[in-house]
Amino acid sequence: MRNIRLSVLFGVIGGILTFLFEGWSVAVVGILMGISLGLAISGQLKRKEPAKLALDVLPSALVSCGILLILSLLQNYVITGVIGHSPAPLEVMIPANLIGVLGGALFLLITVALHGLSEGQERIGRLVLLGLVVIAFPFVDNFTQLGWTSLIIFSLIYVLLGMGLNIVVGYAGLLDLGYAAFFAIGAYTTGILSSQQDNITLNFWLVIWIAAAVAAVAGILLGAPTLRLRGDYLAIVTLGFGEIIPVIFLNLTNVTIKEPLTCWIIPGVERLFGATSKLSCNVIANNLNLTNGDLGINPIGRPALPFIGTFTSNNTVPWFFLIILIILLAIFGINRLRDSRLGRAWMAIREDELAASQMGIDPVRTKLLAFSMGATFSGFGGAFYGAYIAGVFPGAFQFSTSIIILCAVILGGIGNIYGVIVGGLVIETADRLFLPALKDFFTNLMNHSVLPALASQKTLHDIVAQNANPILYRYLLFGLVLVIMMAVRPEGLIPNAQRRMELHEAEEAPNVAASTSVKS
Amino acid sequence: MNKGLRLALNILIAVGVIYAILLIGPVASFDIPIIAGEIAKNPLQLVQYLIIGVANGAIFALIALGYTLVYGIIELINFAHGDVFMVGVFASLTVLSLTGTLNTTNPVHIILGLVLALILAIVICAVLNAAVERLAYRRLRNAPRLAPLISAIGMSFIIENIGLIWAGQSWLVPSFGTSGGAAQKNFPDLLGTMFTSLNLNQNLFTSSGIHLRITITGLIVIVLAGVFMLGLRFFIQSTTLGKAMRATAQNRDAAKMMGIDIDTVITATFLIGGGLAGAAGLMAGLYNNTAWWFMGFRAGLFAFTAAVLGGIGNIEGAMAGGFLIGIIASFSDGYLDARWTEGWVFAILVLILMFRPTGLFGEQVGEKA
Repeated sequence: MRNIRLSVLFGVIGGILTFLFEGWSVAVVGILMGISLGLAISGQLKRKEPAKLALDVLPSALVSCGILLILSLLQNYVITGVIGHSPAPLEVMIPANLIGVLGGALFLLITVALHGLSEGQERIGRLVLLGLVVIAFPFVDNFTQLGWTSLIIFSLIYVLLGMGLNIVVGYAGLLDLGYAAFFAIGAYTTGILSSQQDNITLNFWLVIWIAAAVAAVAGILLGAPTLRLRGDYLAIVTLGFGEIIPVIFLNLTNVTIKEPLTCWIIPGVERLFGATSKLSCNVIANNLNLTNGDLGINPIGRPALPFIGTFTSNNTVPWFFLIILIILLAIFGINRLRDSRLGRAWMAIREDELAASQMGIDPVRTKLLAFSMGATFSGFGGAFYGAYIAGVFPGAFQFSTSIIILCAVILGGIGNIYGVIVGGLVIETADRLFLPALKDFFTNLMNHSVLPALASQKTLHDIVAQNANPILYRYLLFGLVLVIMMAVRPEGLIPNAQRRMELHEAEEAPNVAASTSVKS
Repeated sequence: MNKGLRLALNILIAVGVIYAILLIGPVASFDIPIIAGEIAKNPLQLVQYLIIGVANGAIFALIALGYTLVYGIIELINFAHGDVFMVGVFASLTVLSLTGTLNTTNPVHIILGLVLALILAIVICAVLNAAVERLAYRRLRNAPRLAPLISAIGMSFIIENIGLIWAGQSWLVPSFGTSGGAAQKNFPDLLGTMFTSLNLNQNLFTSSGIHLRITITGLIVIVLAGVFMLGLRFFIQSTTLGKAMRATAQNRDAAKMMGIDIDTVITATFLIGGGLAGAAGLMAGLYNNTAWWFMGFRAGLFAFTAAVLGGIGNIEGAMAGGFLIGIIASFSDGYLDARWTEGWVFAILVLILMFRPTGLFGEQVGEKA
């Protein structure tokens, strides 16, 4: 029964997506829906023979794909009329729906059937499946002209940032509300080192490492003052840093540094004694424009590879695979870190700092390394981001950016790297892809159907016209995610087992007490 | 390490820090020789900045009280508090607009409108703050510490978004004056208008030659804030509920055993904190003449810094801290560069937390992080 409910949910979500994106989207959405539904269902099934499992989920496949098909057809023949679009031609509509529905069902069955194999085989099978989807995605996207890849790349940058933040918040338990500062440091390092702004233009493949290293050092420098603080105070101080760093970058437009000894101190003392100064003032930097203020650094050098050439904005495929590669390396590195001595030290500090330090863990070193490692990944992210959009603008690193990354970590599951990946993808895709599409949908709907009907009532007409813009409610979305997740499921969608137990300690404790009292 | 060596090392570090400030400071407009020259040239400017600082500080102090009261009782940084203040600004602007006070010069109308705006801003913000507690914090009272803080950040975002939408409703908050854009609204200085229409000079003291101007609005803001602070002090010290609040702040469990209803006390605390923020909202609007959906973030962080500066949980400390931060911010705006003010206030926050986490005036509750 639960499977059917899940299928209905996924089918409806998929259907709504086809409302927003139209045309070929139903093919891509159907397959993605099939795989994600398969992953969601197979977690709750017992291991059986693959064929039997596949047979068991056949009703789910029928329900979800049926709903998708109905909604997609509804979109094509009814909704398009309401929002003033023309329905997709048959030569797009028929293959797209066929691929979406049949492909979705097929991938759902395959994903569930994999669960019937042994654990190791299942994992390999899933990896192959996901790998196929990831590799095929940009090409399919190119073919179908949906233009999702360029936006998914932003989501993937946030996934990388979320994985970095997860080290600090999830593993070491230090709430960092200023994580965007490191992102800014990475991006601005890239900007300063590979643009025409100050006549230093280094190769991207070098700059990305420098940016990561600078971010790591910044992590230590910004982490050091916060070591004595705990809990809320730490959060506030990191937030302060998160605010200061972009302000600094914004304002480094007119840097003048004069050596104080020769400029003021010695001349001042001399003037006190009535002598005129003969020293010449030693000026280190004069009116240096490092960051170009509000206008940002633009353009920034881009990576180049043999055979592919310089990465361009028009061709998103190499960018997509570059960020996928960085994420894969990051997953590998972070998993190794987590299982290392250092990773275990982080978790020990998170659970009980005093006890950990009694066991011989140096809290100062451990925390600083957490900040530094976390910052490294956002250094990579920042460098990639700077190169990808070919510019660095101060508006991109505000407090809300830090909170969006935190949202991703919390939605996905604190402390679980795969949860964070899902969280980052969901949050950022919702922000970059879903909301703008929803906005277009509403704008069309309003302009074509609702507003003409309201034309007689001017006040109402203006109010509706002004507020029917989902982008306006962006912060509301993130705020609600945080509040609702904290209230309903603080361990996230894909929780870390340990964390879940901790968070539900209070609920389980009375049960334990009750069961013991029954026994006695 | 012997004493002499340590002393020498400390002196060396101090010299190094001073040198670094002289070297790097000018990048952040902290150029001591230039500032000293400016002060020497026009000392009355200092008085002017001081007055602006005290008036803004009074507003920060009212907001800081909300942080410190809540922290004193449930040890939570009520992150949404700054945004409650922003709602206060918009609520009073809306009331003034709907009552037609914005476009009148009739002094009686203005006074009645302002009193109504003050009352409604206080009520709306108090209820909003209590609602935030009820919705986002209450069920997390025994959860791990990060959970309510994250929930608070979420609430802050939600309220900011409400402010953003509110600012866009031209039927509620009209664009008044010339610079009222889509997101940033002008908030007219009604007290000044009222005094002008009474043929009184709205400037109690002006002198163009030496740049000193004291406005009636500034004076009224300071006096009104003082009245609210004295009222709060009286409430905390002399009423039963105030006593219950102090008891809860000292030890929640013991207070519960003495028959104090903790939920009522906490709700009352949030109501009071929200009400003070609402009052501060009207004053800030009148004094700074602007309403912006994001203004709660900056005001909230300044006020939080004030609360920490005074020792969080310490009510008198929060008031003193508010004035101090107001003055520092005003000096930074005037003598340094407004672009860097936020940075300087945060630097103060970080330094205080690093070296004296109990604040300048000590704290009433220990850090139980």
